[in-house]
Amino acid sequence: MSNVRDTALHSDESTTSELAADGVLTVSFTAFLVSWALLFQWLDETTTVAGLTVLRLLGVALVVAAGGLVATGVASRLDVVDTTPSPTAGFSAGVVVGLLWSIFGALLATALLGAGTVLWVSTALVFGVVGSLTSVLPREDIGSTVPVSLVLAVVGGAIALGRIDGGWSWDPAWLSAVVPGSELVPILVVFGSLLAVWSGAKARHGFGAQGREAAAFALIGTVVFGMLSVLALLIGFIVVNGLETMLTGATLSGGRLTLPVIDVTIPWVSFPFLTNVTGGLYVDVPGVLPATIGTLWLVFGAVIFAVPLGVGAAVFLTEYAERGRFTQVVEVATNGLWSTPSIVFGLFGLAFLVPRISGGNSIIVGQLVLGFMLLPLVLITSREAILAVPDEYRDASAALGVTKWQTIRSVVVPAAMPGTITGVILGVGRIAGETAPLLLVFGGPPYPSQTPDVLGSFALTATPPFVTNEALLAPASALPYQLYSTITAGVFPKDIFTNQEFGWGTALVLLLVVIGLYAIGVGSRLYFRRKLHHE
Amino acid sequence: MSEAQVDQTAETEAPGERVTTSGESDERIEDEWRDYEFAGRAKLSVEDLDVYYGDDHALKSVSMDIPSESVTALIGPSGCGKSTFLRCLNRMNDRVKTARIDGSVELEGEEIYRDGTNLVELRKRVGMVFQSPNPFPKSIRDNISYGPRKHGDINKGLLARLLGRDDTAEEAELVERTLEQAALWEEVNDRLDDNALGLSGGQQQRLCIARALATDPDVLLMDEPASALDPIATAKIEDLIEELAEEYTVVVVTHNMQQAARISDQTAVFLTGGELVEYDDTDTIFENPESQRVEDYITGKFG
Repeated sequence: MSNVRDTALHSDESTTSELAADGVLTVSFTAFLVSWALLFQWLDETTTVAGLTVLRLLGVALVVAAGGLVATGVASRLDVVDTTPSPTAGFSAGVVVGLLWSIFGALLATALLGAGTVLWVSTALVFGVVGSLTSVLPREDIGSTVPVSLVLAVVGGAIALGRIDGGWSWDPAWLSAVVPGSELVPILVVFGSLLAVWSGAKARHGFGAQGREAAAFALIGTVVFGMLSVLALLIGFIVVNGLETMLTGATLSGGRLTLPVIDVTIPWVSFPFLTNVTGGLYVDVPGVLPATIGTLWLVFGAVIFAVPLGVGAAVFLTEYAERGRFTQVVEVATNGLWSTPSIVFGLFGLAFLVPRISGGNSIIVGQLVLGFMLLPLVLITSREAILAVPDEYRDASAALGVTKWQTIRSVVVPAAMPGTITGVILGVGRIAGETAPLLLVFGGPPYPSQTPDVLGSFALTATPPFVTNEALLAPASALPYQLYSTITAGVFPKDIFTNQEFGWGTALVLLLVVIGLYAIGVGSRLYFRRKLHHE
Repeated sequence: MSEAQVDQTAETEAPGERVTTSGESDERIEDEWRDYEFAGRAKLSVEDLDVYYGDDHALKSVSMDIPSESVTALIGPSGCGKSTFLRCLNRMNDRVKTARIDGSVELEGEEIYRDGTNLVELRKRVGMVFQSPNPFPKSIRDNISYGPRKHGDINKGLLARLLGRDDTAEEAELVERTLEQAALWEEVNDRLDDNALGLSGGQQQRLCIARALATDPDVLLMDEPASALDPIATAKIEDLIEELAEEYTVVVVTHNMQQAARISDQTAVFLTGGELVEYDDTDTIFENPESQRVEDYITGKFG
């Protein structure tokens, strides 16, 4: 089989060897996915396809991938296909293959010769060195395929022949746990398929610099895919568990909405879990409205408190203060404040703010404590954003005879706005789900029978402080606080939900509230960016 | 090539002697050009101006009178202090923390380096255009009205409308007038509300000129206004400078000697060390300079 190419630069036709490499990639990626499905028990390990159990099929996949790899490697070495291999597979490949072989050697020695330390260490060493050499000494096309294929073939073969299967269990003397084969096989296959992807991507792009780049991208791509899957899994898990609770009693037209001006009542969406209070005698579906409102008030108050202070401090530090010991101390202090555990903030609130402000748990102390937590992040991010505003703007403004303060107000701060908002978004994500300080300074009864009426409680008095607000000085409930209370409480007071069901529902609502806050933040950041840049 | 190198080494081989002689001859010449006579009155007169950045003596006892309604070019090699000199004329060097300035600069007979000088008023009367175009990330209209609005000359917005002092019409007039003056009106009059960062480099620089004109200055300082632009945009800026000189006193720093020869009425040559070596009519400087060092610089033998 001779491969006649048009030019050295171009190769449009795919060759048999490239097809083989593509096959290796497909088989190993599929094995990767199936192994994860097995690990998460979405797929039962006793499922049989064409008379073989899934576990055995995974072993077969590894063997097939190994065969494909050897084929492409050998074809390239015999110059049957055009490739551009380097003289050696490289140091890192040598280390990886050597490590794999030494593990293999250690296991072999303990299985066949007993668990003498000297014995297995020396066997592992010999295997490791030999493995490294087989990978480093030959040309890259052999060195990066054949040693890897050997490992894959041995592991895959053991699985395919049923030596390691679901009933088998690994019970090493140095580990108190027992690893059943139904878990060990997918784990082995995950690592094996990553190896095959790495080697296969190399072979697919003809080894050499191009091949190594492709291999790196293939590994990175697989890892990114894994990361996104974890995120999706997390959200999916909460949605699956909480959706039924959240939709309890929900109908599209069961509710009633009275239009304010014309006083007409129309059918409306009814969503009792979102619109009902939690406690109370006549509530058939306990809802999370008081906790949701509580969380929103907390976030709102913290932002109102922290953003002006943080941005103001950032302006002072970057535009007015002399760069020196003082600003350095402030920087270190801010970074330290940001990494202070939240329970410490809570304790401070309990010991210092509660006796001075409300004499007991209250919304306003919760807002202040969360504001303290948000402050350092807002300060850090807006300082960075202000420093990133080009000096040309300041020069131009000064040359027009505009004062420094006016320049800061109308050029510098608006230009730094997207960065500041990014900081607020990140911070709000953290404080909206904060539980520990709320336990100390904020939480009231976990299943409240009324929503905190903050807006309606403002009242004027004749004595200082002239404006009072009962609701702000009273404790309330927030979503993470309620979630914690529900999970740790003994029995949920209503029969309709169990503790777990109500907890999952609360978690889902909390997730939605945080995502909603994110959406608001991202939207306003986009708005300011559009305004600033030509888009 | 090799011949030129030999020449250079020959010149630098006996430095001590040459420098003293040329220094002496420059001093003698200085007395002559110091009395540089020009028709009309002096807009800016600078007396014994010294600038230090920390220990670095950046400008050494510079004195010159700048005539009104004309183009004065400042030329010289990099680091010779010409930009420093320019930035002294509207006190932009005050923004540099390490800078110390001695001497006197008078704007129409009024000292600007005096306690109690109103910097806002000074910079309104002495506008500045920078080397790289630096419009604000705002609309074209807002870029131009920025100065007057901050000075309270134009009121806009909800409060102004409520108080019946809305100057939207005046603003439109100002935008049109200054953009016309900066030869940009034709190109942008249909997109005044677009972001100024979407303009090309040459358009941005003309917008910066229009922005400087919006505070109604007498003097326009330009720090290498065309050095970041392509030849076509440069030609436009040069034409514009010549037109502006009919109404404004323009002081231009430039690296480009042909540019100085083309656009300026008088030229001041700064050489390394922050000295003003010669100041005269542009024609005299370029055709018959008195100082040997200036001639060397202009003919390309040095710098």
